[in-house]
Amino acid sequence: MSPAIEIHNLLVTGTDRCRLDVADFRAEPGTLLALMGPNGAGKTTLLHACLGLATVARGTVRVLGTQVETLSAADRARLRRRIGYVPQILSARGELPLTVREVVAIGRTARAGCGRRLTREDWQTVDRWIDQLGLSSLAHHSFGEISGGEQRKTILARAMAQEPELLLLDEPTAHLDLGWRERIVETIDTLHSQTRLGVILVCHELEVLPVACRHVVLLNQGRVAANGTPESVLTSQSVSALYGARFQAVHQHGRHAVIPGGGAHD
Amino acid sequence: MPSSPAEVRMIDLLFWAPVMAGGALAGASSGMLGTFIVGMRIPFLGVCVAHAALAGAVFGSLAGLAGPQLLLPALAGAMVTSLSLGLLNPGHARLDDNTVLSALFSATMGLAFLGIGLHGRYGQSDHDVRSLLWGSLNFCRWRDVWLMLAATAALLIYVVAFFKELRAILFSRPLAEASGIRATAVWTGFLVLTAVTLTVNLQTVGGLMIYALINNPAAAAFQLVRGCRRALLWSAGLGAFSGLGGFLLAALTDLPSGAVIVLVSSALLGLATLLRHR
Repeated sequence: MSPAIEIHNLLVTGTDRCRLDVADFRAEPGTLLALMGPNGAGKTTLLHACLGLATVARGTVRVLGTQVETLSAADRARLRRRIGYVPQILSARGELPLTVREVVAIGRTARAGCGRRLTREDWQTVDRWIDQLGLSSLAHHSFGEISGGEQRKTILARAMAQEPELLLLDEPTAHLDLGWRERIVETIDTLHSQTRLGVILVCHELEVLPVACRHVVLLNQGRVAANGTPESVLTSQSVSALYGARFQAVHQHGRHAVIPGGGAHD
Repeated sequence: MPSSPAEVRMIDLLFWAPVMAGGALAGASSGMLGTFIVGMRIPFLGVCVAHAALAGAVFGSLAGLAGPQLLLPALAGAMVTSLSLGLLNPGHARLDDNTVLSALFSATMGLAFLGIGLHGRYGQSDHDVRSLLWGSLNFCRWRDVWLMLAATAALLIYVVAFFKELRAILFSRPLAEASGIRATAVWTGFLVLTAVTLTVNLQTVGGLMIYALINNPAAAAFQLVRGCRRALLWSAGLGAFSGLGGFLLAALTDLPSGAVIVLVSSALLGLATLLRHR
């Protein structure tokens, strides 16, 4: 079975803020891998390179066995249909009349084919994921009227309704309160254990890593700084050095956290 | 000669029937466009495309075209503007859609007024092109109505065929693109039909009324209903009501029809906002 993502000698120079220079990166199929690092480290750019949204200056990116950077526009669209993507920034157009059910149905749009209507089976898939993520009571509410956490779940349901072979989550808990953050982490954990879907999770906080995440790649200034288990990569020293402040990393029962100002030793 | 008041009313009705049909069609098609244009927060597109069409017509007129022949250069001007916006990749361009529209608007308006100025220099009449700016609903004839009906039908077929893609683009064009939807192609196709519909409507309702008929019915529909399909139907319905109701109200009160249509659509938006907040 080919790796979910395989990157060699990649150079992306398209954006001012972030230059991505990755010698080797590999995500095995079915694993939950966390991509961490400070702001501007290149995490989102790496996801964009996987989706064929970034201009690759050098190197190769293979996703689900397909080389991305040489694909035609039509083939790139075909590959993207196999990838569920939850972006960092959501649509802020609160006045839109789209319901939660309609937003989740966007996940079926590309799969159904251009110019074809969604079938009864498509809508059943949409309703199944709405139900699975606990959104049934909100299905006919406007997306703009529900809370930030519910919006995140809706976008996650949209990605899952796509029936993807790989899930790319870009800071799915950003701007959420502690309760919603934990609910989203549990949802990701459950989704992964139920589907064995390959998940790449971009996040800043150690608390967001689900129990199932046993592989962390640390990016810094566009390069891979560390690669391994959460306990080996996210030490007090590495986190303190990376973020330029004193932190103590705590690992307990498969979950992880940092305590500010807690010293530079495990 | 008509011999009874009933006969006079019938002749009046026959005379004004294409005007009423034109007003209702312009309102319905602009309302349909407005669902996506207002949803994408680019209501200025209507004015921008109208002025691009005007610039095209002005230079067509300078080249010796007149009357219905001006439709072709007007369409070309509108198309160039729509295609420029549609093919611009929001992921790569460092310009907001509204900034691009403002730049296109100022350029096309500059061209239009330059062309109008050149008419004077070469001693040509600019009457035909000036009427495009303000429109002339009261002079709408069946030939114009058939043209508007054809453009509205083409738009309706496109919206029905690509409804789910347009809905995804409305939610987020970058996310639609990242999900494997051919967002640029579908959106550009929609903008091309926007150019066609607005250019055909332009000679009847004028550039300024188009702006109101795109913005107000859609914004009112967004206040009143949930769901993209419902919003589309309500927006088209409120647009048609504004066009037809505004004309009838103007006829009853002997006021200028264009102004009354705009005011009716504005009143509908105000009423919808009040109803939502009750």
